Amino acid sequence: MENSESITARANMENTTSCCHPAHRVHRFIALILMCFLCFGSYFCYDTPGALADNFKGDSHLNTSQFALLYSIYSWPNVVLCFIGGYLIDRYFGVRLGTIIYMSILFVGAVLFAFGVYIDKFWLMILGRFIFGIGGESLQVAVNNYVVLWFKGKELNMVFGLQLSFSRFGSTVNFWVMEPIYHWVANYYGGYERLGVTLFIASMTCLGSLICGLLLGWMDHRAEKILDRREEHANDPPFRMLDILNFKAVFWLVSVICVAYYLAIFPFIALGKLFFERKFDFNPQDANTVNSMVYFLSAALSPFFGILIDKTGRNVTWVILSIITTIGSHFLLAFTFVNPYVGVMSLGISYSLLASGLWPLVAMIVPESQLGTAYGICQAVQNLGLATVIILAGVIVDKFGYLMLEMFFLGCLFIALIAAVLIYILDSANSGVLNLSPSEREALKMPTVRTDERANLLDHAESSDADEEVRPSEDERDSGLTQSDRIRSRYIAQILPNTNIPDRQRLTPSI
Amino acid sequence: MLYFVLFITSFVCYSNALDRKIFAKLNPGCDECSNNATTLVYIRSEGNADVIHQIWDFTKHLPTIVLCVGSLNSSLEINWERSEPVKFVWSEKPWYSFATAIDKLCEYEDLHDTGYIDPHYPQREYNLDGVSWVLDESIFTDSEAMVHVSGKIHNRHRKRDGIVSIKLDLLPFKDYAVELPHLVHTANSTLIDVSLVNLTTSRGFNASRYALHFLLASTDYPADTMHYTMRKSLDDEHTPGVFEIIEIKTPSLYNNNQGGYLQFRPVGYTAPERNVASSTVAHVSQFNRTVMPFDSTLRLFFRDSPSMILIQDMFVSFGDSGDGFYKQHNYTAWSFTMGYGSPPVEGFSLFVILIISIGLGVPIVLALSGVTFVLFRRYRQTNSRTRFTNED
Repeated sequence: MENSESITARANMENTTSCCHPAHRVHRFIALILMCFLCFGSYFCYDTPGALADNFKGDSHLNTSQFALLYSIYSWPNVVLCFIGGYLIDRYFGVRLGTIIYMSILFVGAVLFAFGVYIDKFWLMILGRFIFGIGGESLQVAVNNYVVLWFKGKELNMVFGLQLSFSRFGSTVNFWVMEPIYHWVANYYGGYERLGVTLFIASMTCLGSLICGLLLGWMDHRAEKILDRREEHANDPPFRMLDILNFKAVFWLVSVICVAYYLAIFPFIALGKLFFERKFDFNPQDANTVNSMVYFLSAALSPFFGILIDKTGRNVTWVILSIITTIGSHFLLAFTFVNPYVGVMSLGISYSLLASGLWPLVAMIVPESQLGTAYGICQAVQNLGLATVIILAGVIVDKFGYLMLEMFFLGCLFIALIAAVLIYILDSANSGVLNLSPSEREALKMPTVRTDERANLLDHAESSDADEEVRPSEDERDSGLTQSDRIRSRYIAQILPNTNIPDRQRLTPSI
Repeated sequence: MLYFVLFITSFVCYSNALDRKIFAKLNPGCDECSNNATTLVYIRSEGNADVIHQIWDFTKHLPTIVLCVGSLNSSLEINWERSEPVKFVWSEKPWYSFATAIDKLCEYEDLHDTGYIDPHYPQREYNLDGVSWVLDESIFTDSEAMVHVSGKIHNRHRKRDGIVSIKLDLLPFKDYAVELPHLVHTANSTLIDVSLVNLTTSRGFNASRYALHFLLASTDYPADTMHYTMRKSLDDEHTPGVFEIIEIKTPSLYNNNQGGYLQFRPVGYTAPERNVASSTVAHVSQFNRTVMPFDSTLRLFFRDSPSMILIQDMFVSFGDSGDGFYKQHNYTAWSFTMGYGSPPVEGFSLFVILIISIGLGVPIVLALSGVTFVLFRRYRQTNSRTRFTNED
């Protein structure tokens, strides 16, 4: 079915030279720009509290625990939604309606949050952030579906990378512009009202994204008609609880890193502004700029680290190395007064490196038929960890200060380091592939490679991209249902060149 | 581990060495003093080599704290005339004296909303020499000397009287204060909390804040100056979010490491429940030379050689831009310590050191054992392969 579709698409493309034709390069480029902007609003608004942290304290009189709750509440719905968000799109909404629904939820959430701040009602702020969270992660899944629909078999990896980098750029821009906007608004409003109005303005980015979503929906509708394309529905349930029983210890160790490592990144960014202001005497704008560096660097460096790990392999070593450098960065921030740019930039570099090394590990550990479940679990525990720990982080700041918060982050990183070292030991003990170089992996799979199978698998990988979870690593989940171990070992080799894609994609929902 | 044990041992020894024996008495030698209308506390803190005499006096209206260091034989006697002290009589001259008094409360219009006090801003002064202090609470035991006094501030521009409440506490061992900002108190220092309650705002002032006016006096060269130092600690464990420690040092301390000091964190609180959300900023102004107020404890205490005393004043003001000024909460509280010797330096807590030791130790042990395991395994594999080849 999928093959015939792509043939139709190719046929149509050959027949057309008009840039209005959906298959034309210019037309798809416009779609790409719209896709880049789809998640911009959600990323932008996710970190507005972080960019205005001191104003939330000064204008809304929130203590750090309450402030942290604004972030925590975002993660709670996603503990569950990461399993069903994509499923709902496939089974009920379809990608167009799904995108618009999730985006509307996002917009409503952002506006409610701003309104809650405007009338200084904490419960309304929380409700707004909760609704915002419902839309946030599912939207990413919907956007990934769009990317696959429009670019499968063409510039898919590049587009995924670009789309994600641009989303991260949304977070970065948020940290850059919120302070000036706040000051401008402060000319006309005072107290918590000025903060509310600032957030209203910020929520307009979600409206902008919604308009992009509507435009893209129209383009997609038109493309579907012209190209005679049908949306595919995945035949498999996205998540099978029983798979959990089959996961190896190494997978659970990877999950531990997924939780423990990211706990030292996202809560740090959320609570970072005041830390830079108080410990390093940065003014609010500079504090935001230094805080934005982690996202900025990860947007800029992820593709390069993806290539680096493709070329060198040895994922576990890279993971251990990046955890150690992250520990070093947090040590610098906690125990010295060295310019925080040094610590934060090395944190950003380590974070990008870890992402590139860690996420492909899952694809190597878990049989492809269970990848959906595996990634779902990783994402769910990560969200659960973030949801609970951000609250804890807020309480730590209020009761014990930023040094203790850094100690807490270091504690999390030490747990991640222990897990990584254990992975290394377990993998070496079982002669595993996780820490081999690409050539060694190649040597392992050589006896089983057959050209026809490879072609078949590649074809399948492309065509099943529209799966509800849509991670390229998962793209092949369906295909794997009937694959033998022989093909699986080859699959690992297939997926490695794409490592920069699955990892960055998978990271998206947690940000 | 050895360093760790050494650290703990030295820490315990250090805190023990500082312990002093205290003898505190309210209105010593005064027969006509009623207990809660007259408050003059004399504390004798005996150490191994010296005695620190402290006088906390509210009888002459300006809250005054005097610290004197003398030999083990030194003693002080206070002569009274009805319920007023008229003379401090020393058995032998103390080596060094340092005194602080709060003589005025200053309401100022913070035109630029910064929290700092500027001489050009419209101001209204409330001289404390008209305030009668009432002793609300007191503790005098071997391990603590504490008084809690309060005075009403009357202002014809306002409907209600405001209250200035001052708590002085001497705990003769090194520890963190129970309440935020958890300043370090030692046997050589006294913890002072000042609260400005319900002062409201005078008519005609829309952006008013309050500042405390301090007089600092010490037996240093009169042309010298007090020194303001602000240092940053890595540790905000005890005062969440505040890394700065401000110290005001007398010239003797600044130059010779022995002298008087005030130590505090630049943080105040706008609610009786002190926490991060109710915190505000405390600002210190420049020092100016001044003279001792005419009828004051300071003048009485330094009467023998007033011209040989260094005396300067300073303001401590409270607030941060955009906080809605004093009227927003009608409450400001601030704490500082006043002491003799070297100001205490805060160290990392046992908890922090434990986390670092465990956090670093466990992964290193794990990593080493992992590497050993892998090397051992490779070695065995190589051996068995060699044997296999040989057999071939």
